[in-house]
Amino acid sequence: MKLRTPRGVKDFLPNDARWKYELEQKIHSVFACWSYQEVITPTFEFYDVLKQGDASADQTYRFFGHNGELLALRSDLTTPIARMVATRLKDQPKPLRLAYLANVFRHNDVQVGFQREFYQAGVELMGSGSPAADAEAIALAVTLFNELGVKDFKLDIGQIQYFRGIVEDCTCNFIKQRIWQLLLKKDFVGYETLIKQADIDYGTKELLLDLPNFQGKSEILDQAYQSTENLHARAAVKNLQEIYSLLQGYGIADQVNIDLSMVKSLEYYTGMVIEGYVPSLGFTLCSGGRYDNLSSQFGSQQPAVGFALGLERLMLVLEQQGLKPKVKQEGMLILPYSWSRAVKYAADQRAKGIRVEVDIQGLTRAQAEEYARDKHFAAVVIIEDSTMEMLEVQQD
Amino acid sequence: MLSIAVAKGRLLDSFIQLLEEAGYCCQLLKQDTRQLVLEIPEINLCFILAKPADVPTYVEYGSADLGVVGKDILAETDKDVAELIDLKYGRCRLVVAVPENLRISSVQDLDFNSRVASKYPHIANDYFNSRGIQVEVIPLHGSIELGPIIGLSEAIVDITETGRTLKENGLVIIDTIMESTARLAANHISLKTKRKEISKLISDLNSVIEGVV
Repeated sequence: MKLRTPRGVKDFLPNDARWKYELEQKIHSVFACWSYQEVITPTFEFYDVLKQGDASADQTYRFFGHNGELLALRSDLTTPIARMVATRLKDQPKPLRLAYLANVFRHNDVQVGFQREFYQAGVELMGSGSPAADAEAIALAVTLFNELGVKDFKLDIGQIQYFRGIVEDCTCNFIKQRIWQLLLKKDFVGYETLIKQADIDYGTKELLLDLPNFQGKSEILDQAYQSTENLHARAAVKNLQEIYSLLQGYGIADQVNIDLSMVKSLEYYTGMVIEGYVPSLGFTLCSGGRYDNLSSQFGSQQPAVGFALGLERLMLVLEQQGLKPKVKQEGMLILPYSWSRAVKYAADQRAKGIRVEVDIQGLTRAQAEEYARDKHFAAVVIIEDSTMEMLEVQQD
Repeated sequence: MLSIAVAKGRLLDSFIQLLEEAGYCCQLLKQDTRQLVLEIPEINLCFILAKPADVPTYVEYGSADLGVVGKDILAETDKDVAELIDLKYGRCRLVVAVPENLRISSVQDLDFNSRVASKYPHIANDYFNSRGIQVEVIPLHGSIELGPIIGLSEAIVDITETGRTLKENGLVIIDTIMESTARLAANHISLKTKRKEISKLISDLNSVIEGVV
């Protein structure tokens, strides 16, 4: 028997499990205040359904059901929710604001804060294609991280249609795909080399070479608009301009940057895309965007926008920023020298929501004090037939 | 301040030279030191001296904002890092070589009984797979030329600058898989959060590199 756990999964010991629970409560409450209702989807589904989603579907753990059907563990929640909305909630008034917090499974390379089983929280706003919906998703993401206490949180927004528009006239699909791949990887050496050699017109070349510099605040949008005559690319800029001005109303525009070179999955995303990060962590904290085509795979065209964050990465950042809560000294250990009085007293305290442990080992006073210190109790209560004594536990 | 992970040795010396030509004084780096982290506040850089194969990892995790590493290593480790500029030194080729006396002239002559020793097992596997050639790739960590000499493998995949070491060990090159030069790589998030500093460094380096070419 192996007493280890497989690569990519881990145990949450009591202090971490408790901290995770507190963060989840906080996340749920922020989502609830923005009128997002939690939904729960099955841990596993038919692979046929899950494979309609983004690239993470390639990384699903797959297995056979009793009837030989191919099943898979969910690798994200967006696809199951799109399936749910297209079937069970199709007659509900739109838009729908849905939230989730669940574990997902991906057979990927283990990275920092990204195990093979990890926890994701996120929202989907379905049934609206308006810039106000995009702005709401962005504002909610920023607000959430701010409320969670994350310092220096920043969010980049891009628009996938800008890149798509620029390369629209490029007839060779292979080159288009290759340019996109290199830009996605940010392999600028390969990117420049390819564009310089590629059979595309001069103007497009210049624009593509300049694209990585299209980062900044709203002024970059004017520049991006002037740089192209392509109607789709220009519409993309207009769309971002609208979103950005709505964000100013939310008062969070200073935490939002524009990055038109952010491309993400072209098959999956259809409009605005986002990535959130802090300077101290080398990985993104949250990610999302507009994906208007996913639900049509399930027979119901629903424009949609959403984002997800990884809970373990959130915990990592909070810990790095010194925001992991210290273990609290709280509650009481009762030495029940009078059993019935002690148990009654314990019940009264528990009813008030206080943590109470009734000793079952027959500890002496000295042993009890040491035990209480180890277990972070605030007090030891000694209950005898006619007396009750409370000792404060001294901290180290 | 920007942190740069640089492989100790050949690449480091050339990088120091490049920086100095670009006007960054790196006197401290040239001293023989056992220190692994060297901060030079005057030029706002912090150097992390690392093993070549570890450089992409430091950069991917964001422990270093930037990394100086060969394209061969970037391709082999396949880490998720941005590749900013070609530094155009440390030029070498990744080649397939076989002992002269085997009289093999093409990689197509290798078959499923052939064993290939390499420090670059991923690239080697991709290369042979993409050509539909079945071989057994044996990962080694150094002195790859030993493979054919001691009968461990029929062929090797390794880097070479001049081809001299290969020749001295009785090996001939039968194909070039890729050309490699040193690259400046960056962490994706550092690229967002330290954009101005990184752009400045790139343009300073570029002015020297493009002057040379």
